[in-house]
Amino acid sequence: MTFSINRRAFLASGAGALAVGMLNPRIALAQDVRLRLLWWGSQARSERTDKVVGLFKKAHPEIEVDGESAGWDNYWSRLATQTSGGNAPDVMQMDYRYIFEYARRDVLLPLDKYMKDGTLDVSDFSKDSVAGGQVNGKTYGISLGANSVAMMINKAAWQEAGMDMPQPGQTWEEFGDQCEKLTNTTKRSRFYGCADQGGLEPAFETWLRQRGKQLYDADGKLGFDGKDAGEWFAFWVDMRKRGACVPADVQSLDQLTIETSPLSQGRAGACFAHSNQLVGYQAINKDPLTMGPYPVKSGESHPGQYRKPSMLFSIAGDTANPEAAAKFVSFFVNDPDAARVLDVERGVPESSKMRAVLKKEAKEADRIQIEYIGSLGEKFVGPLPPPPPKGAGEIQLMIKRKNEEVGFDTASPEDAGAAFVSDAQAILERS
Amino acid sequence: MGNKMTGRPAVAIAAAGPPHHPPQVPQHRQRKPQPTSWFGRTWQGSGPGYMFLLPWFIGFFGLTLGPAIVSFYLSFTDFDLLRSPNWVGMANYVRIATSDPKFAASMGVTLFFVLFSVPLKLAFALGVAVVLNRGIRGLPVYRAVFYLPSLLGTSVAIAVLWRQLFASDGLVNSILAEFGIQGPSWISHPSYSIWTLIILSIWQFGSPMIIFLAGLRQIPTDMYEAASLDGASKLRQFIKITLPLLTPVIFFNAVVQTIDAFKAFTPAFIISGGTGGPINSTLFYTLYLYQEAFGFFRMGYASALAWVLVVIIALFTAFSFLTARFWVHYDD
Repeated sequence: MTFSINRRAFLASGAGALAVGMLNPRIALAQDVRLRLLWWGSQARSERTDKVVGLFKKAHPEIEVDGESAGWDNYWSRLATQTSGGNAPDVMQMDYRYIFEYARRDVLLPLDKYMKDGTLDVSDFSKDSVAGGQVNGKTYGISLGANSVAMMINKAAWQEAGMDMPQPGQTWEEFGDQCEKLTNTTKRSRFYGCADQGGLEPAFETWLRQRGKQLYDADGKLGFDGKDAGEWFAFWVDMRKRGACVPADVQSLDQLTIETSPLSQGRAGACFAHSNQLVGYQAINKDPLTMGPYPVKSGESHPGQYRKPSMLFSIAGDTANPEAAAKFVSFFVNDPDAARVLDVERGVPESSKMRAVLKKEAKEADRIQIEYIGSLGEKFVGPLPPPPPKGAGEIQLMIKRKNEEVGFDTASPEDAGAAFVSDAQAILERS
Repeated sequence: MGNKMTGRPAVAIAAAGPPHHPPQVPQHRQRKPQPTSWFGRTWQGSGPGYMFLLPWFIGFFGLTLGPAIVSFYLSFTDFDLLRSPNWVGMANYVRIATSDPKFAASMGVTLFFVLFSVPLKLAFALGVAVVLNRGIRGLPVYRAVFYLPSLLGTSVAIAVLWRQLFASDGLVNSILAEFGIQGPSWISHPSYSIWTLIILSIWQFGSPMIIFLAGLRQIPTDMYEAASLDGASKLRQFIKITLPLLTPVIFFNAVVQTIDAFKAFTPAFIISGGTGGPINSTLFYTLYLYQEAFGFFRMGYASALAWVLVVIIALFTAFSFLTARFWVHYDD
């Protein structure tokens, strides 16, 4: 049997299919305003964000919000791909590390107009916290909360061993001694004082700043030399040798996420992180946690940490609904119910009113964090560093690798320090 | 002209998704006059066939060939996803050839992986196929069970499972501990991590095994009967009869598995968390390419890396075909 198609019928059915295909989205578009929202973070953050999206839809039924989340690693490739394809999410979570990159390429919407006409209300923000989202005098991001680096501490592990927890203001050497003691006294099996954080960029940066150096200077060049890096790696060699921190093969399981950290894996009594992450850490750790500042340099120590927007919301430059997007961001940072849901998981709210709301409710994790950020005096907190240059992300990964090379004895700390500086300079020149 | 008339609605159907109704068959079935043009005749002959192939054609041109051509163009640019690409000529290829330490490192890791995983996997697959070929009861069940890992193989779940098996407090170390051996964290130790990936690859021996099994069935049993009458041992039969007659299948499997091994990505990505660590010990070439493209936004450079990989795979395949005539026996 042969099978032939009447050309006219074929044309008609094709045209029909085409028409149906084109009509459907048109109808959907006419009905409501749709916003796409993209963020990175843990399960705890996604649950909170979804709840706030629900609250927003109740308050603004005419606006539909589609949320989408990714892990930190995949987030930036996804955002870059979508942006490059002209398909950027209307509202996106932004990091201090990337906001300059994106703003310079004109893919973010300047928000000043909406701040002036009140659509995006930042009247309860301090001037500094608004400035944290500005590039060349224009506002491209709204801070979702303040944070700083912080040491996560497994309270139970230290108390069981009958020891004092690491105290604010102790030196790196004192911290190391204390960790070694915990490793030796704890009854937990294969448990160490702290994680091996020689490959953690914020820890290295804090340590540099305490010596009066910096990671990057205002011109985007390295603000330290090979000797600094070598001494940093050497400190952790000593920590590993003494058993104060976890061995290299345990540490290299850490993929720089809350879930894979040696603290969450039940292998270490402390690890280095950011203050807002206490919520995420506590969510997956059975033992009660607390936090404190990083150790300081012995002798004269410059303030190493700084207070920064833990993350921001930015709006895509080519969004079809800038008003609705601005309304959503405003709701996110100003609505008391939203603040109760979000608590301090993205950092301590910048709006003084929302801080007051949270203080009144005073959940344990919120209280620790608000107090922690409030307690960081001039001894610990210095000025915001200049924005990191292009290539900083690659260098951040390289610190981890160099620390592994030292940890697995394939390089001496001095050689790794020198190689780190020359490799990092090559990356900066190439970027 | 005719081309346009028929081409357009066909695209429209495909764009609207899979057709829900079969095209209408004309009511009046009368023999039409034979078209005189070349196109008309061809269309009457194989037109419907091409229609059915359309989804594949659209996939091939839109999702494979099109992007491949674009990536070839991008490999001569400095494209970074956000800005429009600038032509840089051969700069990317020059850098790959002269001054990229990570290119050499990742190529080394990949070659090591190919060199060990492919022969071991083929040997294992052949061994299992020979055992299964003895006419065991329930053969279809065993075949399915052994094939399962290949279906699950490249999935994220299996890579995560591997992390659990070979972690410091994983199953492997628990077993070793019974013998008083304190094993390291296999997947996160630079000396062993690549071996966990090789073992993972061997474990997925299903598809070469099925092909070997089919090949073994082709070998006439009277050859074995004659050989055993002459007093040849099983081993001798295997070496003198099975292996030579199986060489075309071995050759096919080797080429396919080598190409697959060069392209391996998911296990290394999941097991190292996308870093290729510890110390680049699992930095597969594809993983490095991915990092450059989506981690550091050097799309242009990554495209160049991809084309270098294409050339390397092509060279390996060509080499296999050239040497084939010295060891592959085709029946004649």
